[in-house]
Amino acid sequence: MGRTYLGEFEELVLLTVALLNGTAYGLNIADELKQRSNRSINLSGVHVALYRLEEKGFVKSELGGATTARGGRRKRLFSITAYGKRTLDEMRQVRNDLWEAIPNLSFS
Amino acid sequence: MPHRQPAPLPPAWADQLLRLFCPEDLQEELLGDLHEQFDRQVAELGETPARRRYIREVIRFCRPYFIARQLSVQTAQKTSYSPHSSLSPLMLSNYFKIALRIFRKDTTFALINLIGLATGLAVALLIIQYVRFELSYEATNPLANRIVRLTMDYLNGGALDAQDAETYNPIGPKAKQEMNEVVNYTRAKPFTKRLTIQLGDRYYVVDQALAVDSSFFAMFNYPLIRAARTSIFTRPRQVVLTQTMALTYFGTLDVLGKTLNVSRPQNKILLEIVGVVPDSPANTHLKFDMLFSYPTLQSDFDQKEEDWNGNNLYTYVQLAENANYERFTKSLAAFSDRLIKEKKITSERVIGQKIGDIHLYSHKTYETEPNGDAQSVYFLMGVAFLVLLSAFVNYVNLTTAKATDRAKEIGMRKVIGSTLAQIRTQVFLETVFINGIAGVLAIGLVAALRSVFVQMAGLPEGFTVFGDVFFWQSLAAFLVLSSCLSGLYPAFVLSTFEPLTVLKGNFSRSSKGVFLRKTLVVFQLTITLILLVQTFTVYQQVAFLRKQNLGLRMDHTLVVKAPVGTNSEQAYESFRQMLLAQSQVRSVAYSGTVPGLVSSQMGTSTGVNLSDAVRKTYYNFYITPIDTSFIDLMGIRLLAGRNFDATTRYGFSDTTDRQLIVNEETLRLWEIPTPQQAIGKRVDLWGHQATIRGVVKNYHYESPKSAFIPIILLYSPHLSSFASVKFTSGNAEEHLATLKRIYEANFSHSPFNYFFLDSEYDKQYKADDRFQQVFGGLTGFAILISCLGLFGLATFTVSKRTKEIGIRKVIGASTINLLVLLSKDFIRTVWLSILIGLPVTYFLVNNWLANYATRIELSWWLFAGPALLVFVMVLLSIGSKTIASALMNPVNSLRSE
Repeated sequence: MGRTYLGEFEELVLLTVALLNGTAYGLNIADELKQRSNRSINLSGVHVALYRLEEKGFVKSELGGATTARGGRRKRLFSITAYGKRTLDEMRQVRNDLWEAIPNLSFS
Repeated sequence: MPHRQPAPLPPAWADQLLRLFCPEDLQEELLGDLHEQFDRQVAELGETPARRRYIREVIRFCRPYFIARQLSVQTAQKTSYSPHSSLSPLMLSNYFKIALRIFRKDTTFALINLIGLATGLAVALLIIQYVRFELSYEATNPLANRIVRLTMDYLNGGALDAQDAETYNPIGPKAKQEMNEVVNYTRAKPFTKRLTIQLGDRYYVVDQALAVDSSFFAMFNYPLIRAARTSIFTRPRQVVLTQTMALTYFGTLDVLGKTLNVSRPQNKILLEIVGVVPDSPANTHLKFDMLFSYPTLQSDFDQKEEDWNGNNLYTYVQLAENANYERFTKSLAAFSDRLIKEKKITSERVIGQKIGDIHLYSHKTYETEPNGDAQSVYFLMGVAFLVLLSAFVNYVNLTTAKATDRAKEIGMRKVIGSTLAQIRTQVFLETVFINGIAGVLAIGLVAALRSVFVQMAGLPEGFTVFGDVFFWQSLAAFLVLSSCLSGLYPAFVLSTFEPLTVLKGNFSRSSKGVFLRKTLVVFQLTITLILLVQTFTVYQQVAFLRKQNLGLRMDHTLVVKAPVGTNSEQAYESFRQMLLAQSQVRSVAYSGTVPGLVSSQMGTSTGVNLSDAVRKTYYNFYITPIDTSFIDLMGIRLLAGRNFDATTRYGFSDTTDRQLIVNEETLRLWEIPTPQQAIGKRVDLWGHQATIRGVVKNYHYESPKSAFIPIILLYSPHLSSFASVKFTSGNAEEHLATLKRIYEANFSHSPFNYFFLDSEYDKQYKADDRFQQVFGGLTGFAILISCLGLFGLATFTVSKRTKEIGIRKVIGASTINLLVLLSKDFIRTVWLSILIGLPVTYFLVNNWLANYATRIELSWWLFAGPALLVFVMVLLSIGSKTIASALMNPVNSLRSE
């Protein structure tokens, strides 16, 4: 079996989950991404990415405590799995290798 | 305690929508996140923008991922009670199997539903195509919104007398000069005398030729496929052909620089071909085969630059891009007032109309072609929709009625562990399934009915249905609509059965469902009744029009169009004598027009008055030259005075003794009380004087649909336009052959063009005939569909009461007793629908008839007949089943189960 594919947006979401370590849920991931990447992010996209990541085993989730702000609804808190962490590491490694392989970085 | 406003909440329906789309296990967290975000946005942006964003966000959640997730079997791991989600492939195949089984078990119902839906869909699809075509006029012109046709209103003492689509030649240029809003204009002058083109030894008659200004191509969106380098249409004797004409004449599109020879009685003119344009689309009001440069009119057709004596051409102006139509109307009124003050036009007014409105809303004299009618178009659309609705009603009624039969199945499913969602999905998908099949059948029906429909509705011959994307779009839209309208209610009804009551066996029909079903039947019968009354009225009215005494006799009369390329009195006379020498020919008459051709073929004049009139009037008189035999041949009755005879003087240069024959309508306008008093009166006509020598009875020049028009007959023995030949009764083919032979003997160079007077006259009824046919067809389908529905319901009722019938029979009820018993409910609904339907239809019918100058009186039986018919229809639909069961041996019905 080949490697599970990780999309660009999924990778960003996965990184954010890792960053927010333990407190990550749909809305604050979207906010974090919006701030950092300066692009328009919608909630549904983030959620779909999260569920996909979960299906692929990169993140795991559990339902957190209810807050009144959400009309008494619980949030689903996501955290990165070891497999997810490893995948991110590998991807970074691949990219680093590629960067280093570029002979001359000055395109004058 | 400080007063606190409750925190604003996002729209509940949006949440509902989300719940519909998102898997149950995710709903809590998603709604939570959304609400949290909403609260934050309310604080940041205010409530309204936050709500708007919320809705947008929810709509984004309706994405394929969630649907796919619902479909996937994955949910199975998370829910313990439902082995499969309601849309899993396994369940789908299960629904399908059940649907097929139900089909097989009760083919009658399935067929009734299928046939009803399929015909409803097919009818709606065809009508939609027709409506779309009628609405599409000028739609291909990107400038359509900015092009306005200038037309003339005739006033008589301030009151509107007539509206003419044509205007004076200088109006266009003057409008551009004087009004800021007008950036461009083009005139289009139709050649009323048909032109003959000579190419070598072949002759062609051009049906529709227009002389236009060079701006025509830009304003009417005709790209030049081939164009000469010279500036187009600035010089006389330039011509542009349509693609088809170029191919007909030369067999190629490379025709630039070639010449066409127009043969006319006096001379020949050579036209240079400077361009080729695509053919006129079917959906434009201004169609043509050939275009002439406007200066040709001046060089060869005696058209003066500043001619205010005749309004014989169409004028279109293009408004500036930012022009406001209201403001333009005001400056047009001012422009018109200026012209009146300058005495360029008197008792007339220039009126504008958007070209997009011409086809459906304009009914002026001298239109370029018979226009459609917005009212009938929307009316047909409404009716088609009602027919479709009627099909939905059937489906809902039959499915909910059959619900009791399925109650056990559903109860059982529930006990085994089906969810509400699964049952709803199942019932809904059954509807979708049936609709899908109905859709396929509808396509077949459309294919079968297409050519008949195209002919009936008067659509252009090559009208494509299936090649049109819109057809498939509307089919898809209808299927979605019909699935929702006819599927949702049964889905909800069927899923609410209480399994315990159902399985215990004491399940009875809910009164609510019965009430809805009755309401729907009343609705359906009301529609049928209204359509029937309408159809009756339309048929009666058209028959009435046809029965009218026209004041004319048109039988056995062939009409030949005057030959072109000759002006020889000798040839005309020899033609006439040769015809009269034939034993089958009774008489021959030459005239400027013949009855039945649109009145626009006649010349009109407004400035005709009695010489001793105290007050000048400006009525629009129709003037046509005839010879001595015309009145006799046409069977027109002479009320007073004498017919023209060989001693009558003719010719336009003759000013001394011009003689006229007028009709009764003309007398009415001139306020002459009796025909006898009119004889010898002097009339001012085009600056000359003439004497009335005869008065004829009013006759219907156009269809009796329109009122009598004032007609003035002049004397002219020339064969200027038409020769009518009346034969003694006999074989039409033979007559035609004789006529053709004699025509060719005298005018060998000119093409032979003829028509039968009565069939040409009948074309006047075409619009009404079409309406009658399309309407009759629609009504037929509506009746078919409601009969199907009633039949289905009756079958159902009877099957439910088989036992009861058996018992009643055993006790001693007669067949009639049973029939009354079983049809009582239906009869009551018929009464109710008659009560509702008749006032509505009375209003509609009255409205429709108001369009006709000659119309039928509404009599009671026009309403009673259809009502009776509905009764009979209901009795027949329910009777057959009822009688069958009433006749059944009670032993069998009681032994069942």
